[in-house]
Amino acid sequence: MAEFPNYLVRIRVVPLLSLSLKYWSYQNKCDKGLEKERDKPLGYVSTVKKSTAPSGGWSDLWKQEDYWAMWLGLTIVLLAIAFWSIGNNFMNWIVLKIPNYSDYRTAISYISSHKSAILALYLFFLILFSIAVKVLTGEVQRYLVGFTFLFSMSILVSMWGSWDVMKRYNFETPLLALVVGLVISNFLKIPYWLSTALQTQFYVKTGIVLMGASLPFTLIVQAGSTAFAQATIISLATFLTIYWTGTRVFALDKRFAATLAAGGSICGVSASIAIGGTVKAEKQHVSIAISLVILWSIVMIFILPLSIKALNILPGPAGAWIGTAEFADAPGMAAAAAINEQAIKTFTLMKVVGRDMFIGIWCFIMALTSITRWDKRYTGTNPNALDIWIRFPKFVLGFIVASIIITILAASANGVTSKAIDNNILNPISELRNWTFIFTFLSIGLSSRLKELASVGWKPFAAFTAGVLINIPLGYLLSVVIMGNYWITIK
Amino acid sequence: MHKDNETCVQRARFFFNFFEKPKETSPFDQIVKVKQVKPEAVRDLNKFLTSRLERIATMMELLTEVHNDWAITGKKDYILMETESYDFNSALQILKDHAFDDSEFILKVEYTRKWGVL
Repeated sequence: MAEFPNYLVRIRVVPLLSLSLKYWSYQNKCDKGLEKERDKPLGYVSTVKKSTAPSGGWSDLWKQEDYWAMWLGLTIVLLAIAFWSIGNNFMNWIVLKIPNYSDYRTAISYISSHKSAILALYLFFLILFSIAVKVLTGEVQRYLVGFTFLFSMSILVSMWGSWDVMKRYNFETPLLALVVGLVISNFLKIPYWLSTALQTQFYVKTGIVLMGASLPFTLIVQAGSTAFAQATIISLATFLTIYWTGTRVFALDKRFAATLAAGGSICGVSASIAIGGTVKAEKQHVSIAISLVILWSIVMIFILPLSIKALNILPGPAGAWIGTAEFADAPGMAAAAAINEQAIKTFTLMKVVGRDMFIGIWCFIMALTSITRWDKRYTGTNPNALDIWIRFPKFVLGFIVASIIITILAASANGVTSKAIDNNILNPISELRNWTFIFTFLSIGLSSRLKELASVGWKPFAAFTAGVLINIPLGYLLSVVIMGNYWITIK
Repeated sequence: MHKDNETCVQRARFFFNFFEKPKETSPFDQIVKVKQVKPEAVRDLNKFLTSRLERIATMMELLTEVHNDWAITGKKDYILMETESYDFNSALQILKDHAFDDSEFILKVEYTRKWGVL
């Protein structure tokens, strides 16, 4: 076995890891009662036994993950503005950007010289996320340890991803983070305390809110309408394909087929659960739909960037294609981040503005359909237009508000101030966003057990795959061939 | 799919309206904002409410007998019973077995991801 490198001891990453490992071992002894919970492969179930709490009302503002992503994202934006306005360079100081290197000593030297900033960055995220975790699940102690491990892994993966050998083989940090996570989760048992920190959706939604700050509001409005038109065509075609294949070819239940079709065409897991609830699908069917969305999303993270590079597609259209071809925000962000910043922008416009925002309308239409055209069960549950707002993904509000704040700030600035805003507000926000995305990509990998995801039965898998086979080429046709010249201009 | 692989949480929500019942004309239509309210309309409302509230109470008892984790909220004109640990189909079956049909309540089902699921 190779001697443990001294430089890893010096840069304090190993002490953080060894602390986590000691706590890992301690927790394994303490958590014997949680054996069953740890064996649950997907998602995590809080150990805090909770009875059903009443829903609705103002408490949603602090009980829902979407709202917390919005609060935290906007807090970061406002902090960046506040620090800049008082002349404090804190935000730029804490953001790390590991330079590309061929000699590992460059990376080590960078980390060594930024130890305090690493600690400050870690504490910055830990404090913000812990506040949300305290309210949402109450399990702050376990989250603290889990997040320490996740953060340490993120540093290591970022270092590894900056190595020029990785760059040479197009193994960008997002893909690396995903692969590392998948290898660990599919060959080792993820301890319960780590699973509390694998909050994929929470991290990606916070990142998307921060993304809003780097997109002018006028661009969102202008490109958003194009994205909506394009996405709707593809969504309709994919939905009808999966629904028809599911019901006519494989004789699946209509509600099940609709839930599958929603997941494969609108916006992934969110759509499956929204439509599943609207049409009153069985819980197991919704679970199967979610598993298939996750499975195909992970597959697409690898297929799409490889295809984009093989076909020499430019970043703008590439991001738009990912925006229609990917099923969920987090995996789509991973695929787009593997291309470049421009692809991330066009992906966000296509996926968040073109697809995610309109889930409420889809639910309304499906509710009407299930009540008027399917068997008339549950009289009295007429579709309510208010449901369009209830289903609206609230973190998108944060995305729009962040964009508006920065747009107003930038519009009121002269040339010199504008440059200062770029350097002292937009730049740190972008770098913090990138860190939330790395947490996202690692969490995707660490929480995805492919064997369990694949145990859904061949008929739903086949119906879903039929939709994929329509979605991908149609998305390519619209994003690259027909609208490619438009998406190239989005920078 | 194995139970341990379930990736979502189901919330079943039963709304029991006091003053309305689908497929029936509410007696309130003969009283609220009517110029010459007749005594008969008031007696009809009394009969309706007596029967309706008794049926609501019976449904609540049936559901709470079979499952003990309900969030029961009283609102101005309805009772809301919610649970995340009992399947809505089982609840519907219990009510159907005791001759309560779909028109006596409003059922809404919501799914949420398990915390942490992609």
